[in-house]
Amino acid sequence: MGSQGDAKNGGEENMAAWLVAVNTLKIQPFELPSLGPHDVRVRMKAVGICGSDVHYLKTLRCAHFVVEEPMVIGHECAGIIEEIGSEVTHLVPGDRVALEPGISCWRCSYCKQGSYNLCPEMKFFATPPVHGSLANQVVHPADLCFKLPDDISLEEGAMCEPLSVGVHACRRANVGPETNVLIMGAGPIGLVALLAARAFGAPRVVIVDVDEFRLSVAKDLGASETVQVSTKAEDVAGEVDLIKKAMGEAVDITLDCAGFTKTMTTALNVTRPGGKVCLVGMGHNEMTVPLTPAAAREVDVVGVFRYKNTWPLCIDFLRSGKIDVKPLITHRFGFSQKEVEDAFETSARGGSAIKVMFNL
Amino acid sequence: MGSQGDVRNGEEENMAAWLVAVNTLKIQPFKLPSLGPHDVRVRMKAVGICGSDVHYLKTLRCAHFVVEEPMVIGHECAGIVEEMGSEVTHLVPGDRVALEPGISCWRCSYCKQGSYNLCPEMKFFATPPVHGSLANQVVHPADLCFKLPEDITLEEGAMCEPLSVGVHACRRANVGPETNVLIMGAGPIGLVALLAARAFGAPRVVIVDVDEFRLSVAKDLGASETVKVSTNEEEVAGEVELIKKAMGESVDITLDCAGFNKTMTTALNATRPGGKVCLVGMGHNEMTVPLTPAAAREVDVVGVFRYKNTWPLCIEFLRSGKIDVKPLITHRFGFSQKEVEDAFETSARGGSAIKVMFNL
Repeated sequence: MGSQGDAKNGGEENMAAWLVAVNTLKIQPFELPSLGPHDVRVRMKAVGICGSDVHYLKTLRCAHFVVEEPMVIGHECAGIIEEIGSEVTHLVPGDRVALEPGISCWRCSYCKQGSYNLCPEMKFFATPPVHGSLANQVVHPADLCFKLPDDISLEEGAMCEPLSVGVHACRRANVGPETNVLIMGAGPIGLVALLAARAFGAPRVVIVDVDEFRLSVAKDLGASETVQVSTKAEDVAGEVDLIKKAMGEAVDITLDCAGFTKTMTTALNVTRPGGKVCLVGMGHNEMTVPLTPAAAREVDVVGVFRYKNTWPLCIDFLRSGKIDVKPLITHRFGFSQKEVEDAFETSARGGSAIKVMFNL
Repeated sequence: MGSQGDVRNGEEENMAAWLVAVNTLKIQPFKLPSLGPHDVRVRMKAVGICGSDVHYLKTLRCAHFVVEEPMVIGHECAGIVEEMGSEVTHLVPGDRVALEPGISCWRCSYCKQGSYNLCPEMKFFATPPVHGSLANQVVHPADLCFKLPEDITLEEGAMCEPLSVGVHACRRANVGPETNVLIMGAGPIGLVALLAARAFGAPRVVIVDVDEFRLSVAKDLGASETVKVSTNEEEVAGEVELIKKAMGESVDITLDCAGFNKTMTTALNATRPGGKVCLVGMGHNEMTVPLTPAAAREVDVVGVFRYKNTWPLCIEFLRSGKIDVKPLITHRFGFSQKEVEDAFETSARGGSAIKVMFNL
């Protein structure tokens, strides 16, 4: 049975992929809210799977968010405008747009000071209890829909979401033309961080991982050097030396896109005095790390929560060719019950699967 | 036998307090280097004891610095200029000056970019192998000697050094008129951090400690509220609640001037999203802390290494009355063998001893 949305009473029935229980996704009807004056209705065309989507599927939770009722999954998305609210002026039906998932309140001090990603009232696709966007259609604020240039595909539009994580991390860590960057982990997030770091002008980017295949992908994507590392804590000192050799100069900034005790320890030890470590990866709550000697060398630790004001920059990086995200899309699936199940299984397996993309 | 410096051959013999072995300080001759064109010779009048001085006395080490040969102790100091090098223009004999201890190289990239506190070639009073300043006289670069206003005492001048730690921490954490500040620990460093935070305009400063006496001192010094806490790790959650109540508003910045797992855990949990935690206190190398949830709330962790460009500001704070350091000086000793031993014992005991000061 296709999931195009069966027409009922002349109206299409909107279908979505619902997380109904652990390891259980079901394509079911998804009733759209009515269109507000500042909203648009978007026909979804490309939706990527994120590690958090997989985590919700397997555990019904992610950090302190808990799925207590069936929830539509998915949040990395792009599509075509089909209907616009009465106050929408910058978009028309037919426009191809990438969607920024999170709706902030725009009344609190965080929002007013530009840190809307920290809004306590944030409503974010597929963060419970807010429904996601792996669906035929969604209704979304128009100001969170960013028009794509003609020569940027809808899949690339969907990639703006993970790319935004890398861009925000680079901004938080002040990556720029004078900073040599080390990236811990060459998974999807390490790779978008690599792409973003090069786009921000980092002269050298060294990336490390345990997996040789992922390191080869990173090399193709522009890493200056790669270093294969282990999961053994005893190897930290030796790996710090290898990293320094590979960088050739001081490590100014480290983006830990893995988030393990060992990767943070390496990061804190290898980064130069006065440098920055950005913790992007989300591992265990408590970490035992050499924080004191790092603090005594003024190595700062900054974290990231999602992103803010990144879509225009991501789209410009894609438009100008400074970033090419297409190599990250390794697997594609259509929108049917079986394909949804296979897609999530593929994504969960990791390995050679970097970004799994739905084409609707 | 007094330690004024015996006169020999018409010349005074300079005496200093040498760390010669664990728990062993001896007043012995200390030969001064010849005066360079940019140096001054200063007669020491006031020298305070720092926790690091006590640590060297007890263990012959501090962090990764190790005392391998006898070393003159002390670095918090002020005195009177007696002789100037040929190129010195801004000081004259008789000037009362506070000394910034550390001599940077002024050739490396750290120095050139204004982060001279991170200079790898730093030569710092009483950080081995560099001799300290608990002596009759020292020779020091004139640009590191800051003239004191007439109504600021030499003891207050010596207090500029610990006060600088508080000032630098406040700058690193961006303390200002809009930031509510929490301080962990009401020891000498917590107290100078409190004074600095108020001087930087922090509207509310809440300070916590296990010791009621220290909290009462903090209250007298301008803490908005104090909270007595325990060393019990299970009590973190309850103490975070008490702290939030005491602050009344969100905690924007926390200065951890104790540096324990528990204080950092409390700091990371109590600070609002987007806020900063400054780790000032130096505890164990490895710390077990909830770093991931803090990073995911964009609570940044910054450290401090000593200070930079703080003397002029400290002196201005003292001159204007924005800061009064005099209450911190609780014990005074003269410069004799017995008094030196008693002074260090008093400082090491802690308790009601906040700052122990030598008058020479």
